[in-house]
Order: sequence, then structure tokens, then C-alpha cells
Amino acid sequence: MHDVNPPLPDASFDRSLARELEAIVGPDGIVSRPSELRVYECDGWTIEKNAPDLLVMPRTTEQVSAVLKALWHRGVAFVPRGAGTGLSGGALPVNAPVMICTSRMNRIVAIDLPNRRVEVESGVVNLHVTNAVKNDRFFYAPDPSSQQACTIGGNIAENSGGPHTLKYGVTTNHVLGLTLVLPDGEVVELGGPAEERCGYDLVGAVVGAEGTAGIVTRAILRIVREPEDHRTMLAVFADVEAATRAVSSIIASGIVPGAIEMMDQLIIRAVEEAFHVGLPGDAGAVLIIELDGLSAGLDEYVSRVIAIARDAGASEVRIARNETERAGLWKARKRAFGAVGRLAPNYATQDGVVPRTRLPDILRAITEVSRRHGLAIGNVFHAGDGNIHPIVLYDERDPRQVRAAVEAGREILAACVEMGGSLTGEHGIGVEKQAEMPLLFSPEDLIAMTELRHVFDPMERSNPNKVIPRPGSCVEVAAPRRQVPV
Amino acid sequence: MSSSSPSPSAARPTRDEIAARIGAIVGRDRIRPPRGPEAAAAIAIAEPAADGEVAEIVRACEADRIETAPIGAARTMSQIRRAPVALGISLARMARIVAYEPADMTLAVQAGASVGEVNRATDSARQHLPVDPRNPDATTIGSLIAASHSGPLRLSEGTARDLLIGIRYVGREGRIVKGGGRVVKNVAGYDLMKVMGGSFGTLGIIVEATFKVRPIPEHRAAAFAGFGGAGDAFDAARRLNDALPLSYLEVLSPAAAHMCGCDAAFVVVAGFSGSRGEVDDQWNSIRHLAPAARLLEASEADALYARIRDLDFSTAPIAALVAMPPAELAAALMESGAEFAAHAGCGVAKVFLAGAHDETRVAQAISRWRRRARAARGNLRIIRRDPSMRAWLDIFDTPDDGALRLMKRLKAAFDPAGIFNPGCFVGGI
Repeated sequence: MHDVNPPLPDASFDRSLARELEAIVGPDGIVSRPSELRVYECDGWTIEKNAPDLLVMPRTTEQVSAVLKALWHRGVAFVPRGAGTGLSGGALPVNAPVMICTSRMNRIVAIDLPNRRVEVESGVVNLHVTNAVKNDRFFYAPDPSSQQACTIGGNIAENSGGPHTLKYGVTTNHVLGLTLVLPDGEVVELGGPAEERCGYDLVGAVVGAEGTAGIVTRAILRIVREPEDHRTMLAVFADVEAATRAVSSIIASGIVPGAIEMMDQLIIRAVEEAFHVGLPGDAGAVLIIELDGLSAGLDEYVSRVIAIARDAGASEVRIARNETERAGLWKARKRAFGAVGRLAPNYATQDGVVPRTRLPDILRAITEVSRRHGLAIGNVFHAGDGNIHPIVLYDERDPRQVRAAVEAGREILAACVEMGGSLTGEHGIGVEKQAEMPLLFSPEDLIAMTELRHVFDPMERSNPNKVIPRPGSCVEVAAPRRQVPV
Repeated sequence: MSSSSPSPSAARPTRDEIAARIGAIVGRDRIRPPRGPEAAAAIAIAEPAADGEVAEIVRACEADRIETAPIGAARTMSQIRRAPVALGISLARMARIVAYEPADMTLAVQAGASVGEVNRATDSARQHLPVDPRNPDATTIGSLIAASHSGPLRLSEGTARDLLIGIRYVGREGRIVKGGGRVVKNVAGYDLMKVMGGSFGTLGIIVEATFKVRPIPEHRAAAFAGFGGAGDAFDAARRLNDALPLSYLEVLSPAAAHMCGCDAAFVVVAGFSGSRGEVDDQWNSIRHLAPAARLLEASEADALYARIRDLDFSTAPIAALVAMPPAELAAALMESGAEFAAHAGCGVAKVFLAGAHDETRVAQAISRWRRRARAARGNLRIIRRDPSMRAWLDIFDTPDDGALRLMKRLKAAFDPAGIFNPGCFVGGI
């Protein structure tokens, strides 16, 4: 039963609530010291920070349910958190005093190879799913750059992608069933291990809802057979224009690569200085192209891709000769964000999407934004699906640069929308992009989305003040204090 | 003969009343009587020509409590309705390809266009929308999405759910709502595509959709093998699916095989595709894994594939779609005593009874199949029932209590007036 009129929060709730929640999760499941809570003041979106009043780390669905019931009856809102690697402030507490962290719910519950399903608790780290099945030649396809740390629960909230989602799809294509604890503590099972559903696709509605539907505690995931073979190439170009031409031509030729990733000059230099993987320091842009599939077809596709890249102006195309070289290329790509940390005290990673054919236009627009604000911007992104990740470098000690960094991000997003694209391909709206939502969606669209959210969370207790902009309650951009590594 | 049960709404308007009311909005020439199977779905049919007209119709329906439902070819709606709605909304005049960008591999189309029309528009760029419902020319885009139609290709390409990147629909108060966009990767806002997908017209009228399209493989072939028993057929299918990235993998029972013109008891058809080298290589593997297999190339493979895709159950007393974890399917089908056409790698199958069966046998069969699907953590949905069974045979399974409560809240939020195809979805929604 829903309590239609839950009591208003009591100013003295904190100590008695902490005691009540401690009784549920045990003393080691509660963090209440302000100094320790500082760790949880932001996720990968570091421009805004706000520590929770209380952190709870349940171990089971039952504990989550009991915790949410306690909060519901006191009218207290909460923010779910996985590993805190999100990049849009999805795990930033905004009028949500209690943070619920899923990291201790980290069991792989069942591995079912004949059915190609894995059932996990939501705190399981993304890469651990693949690690658990890779000896049997399966993998879990969504592979965000943070996959060594980020959790399946966080991936579900953000509908995460990654380089290989070009061919294999994003999180929503790989989640079949969920255990969801609603904000009033009710536990519901949605979907299941079958491909068809009974009734509305509530799993599809919860994936990508950015933690506003309650807390997901378990998920049934689809795993994919590893391709028989793969070839990973590095194509070197004088500039990003030539590289994007190659991307369009490869796709237009009917080849669907496993991944096509681009890095521009600024990123190439940063990565090379950090990891020495042998990227050509003088290149204007490189593409990492991975083809996978049957051994029999690969060499022919490789020849075609090389020919296309050369036609587009590639000065060199290298093929990884062994697994070590391949791993080196992917390490360069996935750790590019870390390498950028050497170039400036702070950086903000943007996430926008344009139709693939508009990549040259958006990169020109980014260059112009960079020039206008006097901030360096690097580009490392999923070129195959037009998903850009401009990295804006700034120094948080200079308030002008902080403002300029935020402004530059907004201008880039507006340009993406202008070109028929989107505000976010895989990082989510969070708090970062709420203000931009009206660029993409009409009031009617936003009303319908709010009504959908209220199906799960009528009182807006789960991750309040996210995704949908709220007129008159603009999120303050706090003075940044420090940079958290992504 | 059992009669159709009455609709929950009190006074049912006559066709003339509906024509007068809705005709005043969109013009009398846009209102017509139902044709053929539409008669089981709606009393009158409106054919609006623009999103705005659909919105006005919906507002009028809400004001006067006129029950309405989207009607494509009426194949699904004529099956799932116990009694016709007052007004069917056909998008036959809203069938335009809105935008097709071959280089971006995206396509936006009005919901009245058929899957076949979409694929003819993309063919010259050697691309396709890789969904293959029965009779693509008779399946509208609206129906593809709302009724979750799929076919053999779901093994390699997924379903419309996986390819749909943007949607526009007319919802409550005639609001024109969109979700998603026109780019292949997009997580901005809540996923309204998923909400509308498989909603069977109960949440609004889908008017436009945007899809990812995919390249058409250079070469297509199929391996065909006949078996005396279902066990051997499924074993062979499993070996092939474990070893190869097949395009599709169908296992047919004797009656289904016969309907496809195959003369074997149980039949396995495995589709594969790619470059010449890839096709040759896969055939080599298949020959070793299933020595009984025969190679069908190009047009021969395409013809058999189309016969399986278009299997027609309209003469069967009962047909249903069952879904369960893929490895459970073989045993469940063999125990079921049903005829079937199985998408073997997906855990999805169409099951049916062939020949004449009385109601008691149909009822027993369905309840057995339902129990079996549920025991395997799966589900079942009727895709064809004889009209005489409308009164007592439910199309849908009933979801678990918690999920059903959320579904009822969703319905109440999106359709507070209760006009969108009421009363025939899960749990009476």
C-alpha cells in the first residue's frame, strides 16, 4: 500500500534514521561521518559537489527494501550510486539526504551458458561479467571506458554504451530482466530470461531512467558469443576531416566493424606521453578500427578497409600483429581520459551525438568553440555512431575558465542538436544537461516522460531533481573544489 | 457459438453517430465502414492524413468516451479484440518515408507505411530494415512496433525493439509526443520507444518511427536438413548455433514443414550470409556439423526463407507465440504435442494445432502450453484463435502482481480516459 500523505521530513531525522537504517544493514553498512562522506560528494561530473548526509550500503534486496520503506515513511529522498563513475552527475545528491550504494551487492548469482544468460546483483563490476564467461568464449557486450570500475546497476541507470556497441548494441539491448525495489520499498520482478515480455516493456522503461525509478538490485543479462576472430587496425591521418571521411566510407561500404574510434592530435600526444604505445605524435587524427567475425572473411574486409582509409587520405594503416599490440591500442583508447589529466589541472568530458555524416561539421564547430573560449578541447570518441566526447581542459582555480568550460560544453551540445543530433549518447542527462533538455524535447514530451517516471516514483523520492528540468529550481553550479579522476 | 462479450463502456455509438462526430473533424470522406477483418476490430474506420488530425480525433474520442484503436491490416486487432472498438484509426494516408539517410543508416517513416515499402525504399542503397514479420507488405510500421511482430531474422538482427531509435505518437488529450531522435545512439530522456513497443495500441496512436537500418549481406544461403525426430533436429540446430553466427535458425515440426513445401518430418533451416568467402566457410562448417544438410543458394534459399516467414496459421484452430530461455525450448516443444515453427536460437516459437479440434482440446492444449512456458520462466501469447473462442480464451498471460500494478498505473497515466484499445491487453488493461 502506498502512503498517500507521508509525513514531512523531520529536522531531527538524522540520528534516529541513522540508527534505524543501521539496524537493517549493520554498523559496517552505514557511513555518517562528514569527513568520510566527502568521498561521495560527486561522481565523474566534478563541476558540482554535494555530499550526502548519510550513506547506506545494503547487501541484499531485502535490506534495500527495508531501507526504502524506512525512508518512505519519513518522507526522505535518496540517491542511488554504483561506483560513481558516471559523467553527468547522476549520483550527485540534489535534495536527497541519503545515498544508497550498491557496491556490496556484488555477487554473480548465476551463469547459464546454454541459455546465454548471466544473473547478477547490481553492484557487480561490468568487466567482471565478461571475466566470468570469457573462458567459455562469451562476453558481455556493453563496454564503457570505465568498465574496470563501473557497476551493472550504474550501466542500467545510464543505458551505458562503449566502443563495441556500434555492432553489438547498448545496455538496453542486453538486459532482459530486473529486480526493482520501488521507492516505497515494494520489490517487483520485471521481465525475465525470455526474449519476449508479458505486458508493457517495463524493463525498457527502467533502463536509462537514471536511477529515478527506484533501486535495481538484480539483473538478467544476455551474453554474446565471442567472434571467431578479429583484426584491430590503427589508421593515421593528417587531420580529423580525412579521418571522418574514412569512417563514413567504411560504413557506407556495408561493413559493420566491431568498433571505430577516433582520437585527435591533442589526445594522441597525451596518450603517447602517458603510455608509449607507439602512436605517431605528429598525426592529426587516428582511427582505431576493429573488425570481427568469421576468420574466413576478415582479411578481405581488412583489405577493403585499408583501401578505403588510403582513399580518404590515410598516410599509414597498421594492423595489430598479436594480442599484445591489440591490447595496447585499446589501452590507449580506454585510458585516454586519464592521459588528458597530464595536460591541464582539470577537464570536463562532454558527450553529444550527431548523425555520422555531420562529424566533420561538429568537429569544426568544436574547434571554433575552443578558439572563442580560449580553452583547449581534445576529441576521443565513438566515430562509428557519431557519438563525440570533446574533453574541455581548464583550471578550476580560475573562475573564468570554469565558467568558460561549462559554457563551451553547452555550446557544443546546442550545435549537436542543431545538426539533428542528441544531448547525450551514453552518459545521461543527470544534472549536467537538464537545462538543455528543452532544446530536444517539447513540453508535451517532457510531461509524458514525467508521467512515466511517476508510474514508478510518484513522489519523486528516487534521485530527485534529475533528467527533467524543473522550472524555477535551477541547480546551482557550485564552486568546484577538486578534480576526481575518471 | 459463444457470442462476443460486451464492451465495458455503456452505450455503444452506432456507425452513423461516430461518422457524424468524427466526420465533423476530419471530413465525412475520411470515415468509412470496416472492410474484411477490420469488422472484428472496429465499427467505423477513420483515415486521418496528418498528425494534427489524429490529435483532433483523439481529443473528440476522449470528450465523448469513444473507444478507439490503431488499425493497420487489422490482423492483430481483429484477433485480440473481444468486441470491436467504436473507431479504428487507420494510417493508410500517413505512409510516407519522412527521411532516409543512407550514409547515416537511419530512416524515419510514418506509421502507416508497410515494412515492405520501407525495404523497397532502402534496397537501392543495399540496406534494409532487418525485421521480418509475416507478410511484410501487410504489416504496417505501427503494427510492427505496437504488436511486437518479428520473424526468423531476430536471431542475428534483434527485433524492432533493438532498431527503433525514435518515435512519435498521439497520446492523451491529443498530445503529440516524441521520444528518442534520429541518431543511432541516444540516451536523452526516458525511453518512450520501449514504452510504446508491444503496447498493442493501449497507450496512444503511433504516427511516426525512426529506425537504424543495416547493410544487406552480399551473399545469402541456407542449409536445409530433414530429420525423423524432433530431438535430432534440435540437436543439430544447437550444434550449428553454437558454432556459427547464423542469420536465422528455424526448426519446423511436420505440419509446419509441410506448409512450407518441405517433405521431411522435422526440418532445420539455417540461414547464413556474408562475403563469398564467409558463406563458403560457413557451409563447410555446416557440412561437418550436420552431414544431412543440403545447401540452398540465393533464390532457392530466399524462397524457403520467405515461406517460413510467411507461415499462415489462419486455418489452424489455435496458434500462439511462446518464449522462454533458448535452451529450454526443444524440450518444451517436444513435450507440448504441438506443431511448431521455432526460432531455435532465440527461445521463441510459434506453436499451433493442425486440423480440426474441439474447444475442449484447444483449451487443454493452451493451458498445458501456458503452464510449460511459465515453468521455464517464459510466456505465451495467442496469435490466432478461432472467433468462436473469443469469449473464453485470453490472448495474453497475466503478469506478476507487482509488475501488473505498475502496468495499470502506466495505463492510467497515459490513457486516463480509458479510450485506447481498452479491455483486451494483459490483466484487462
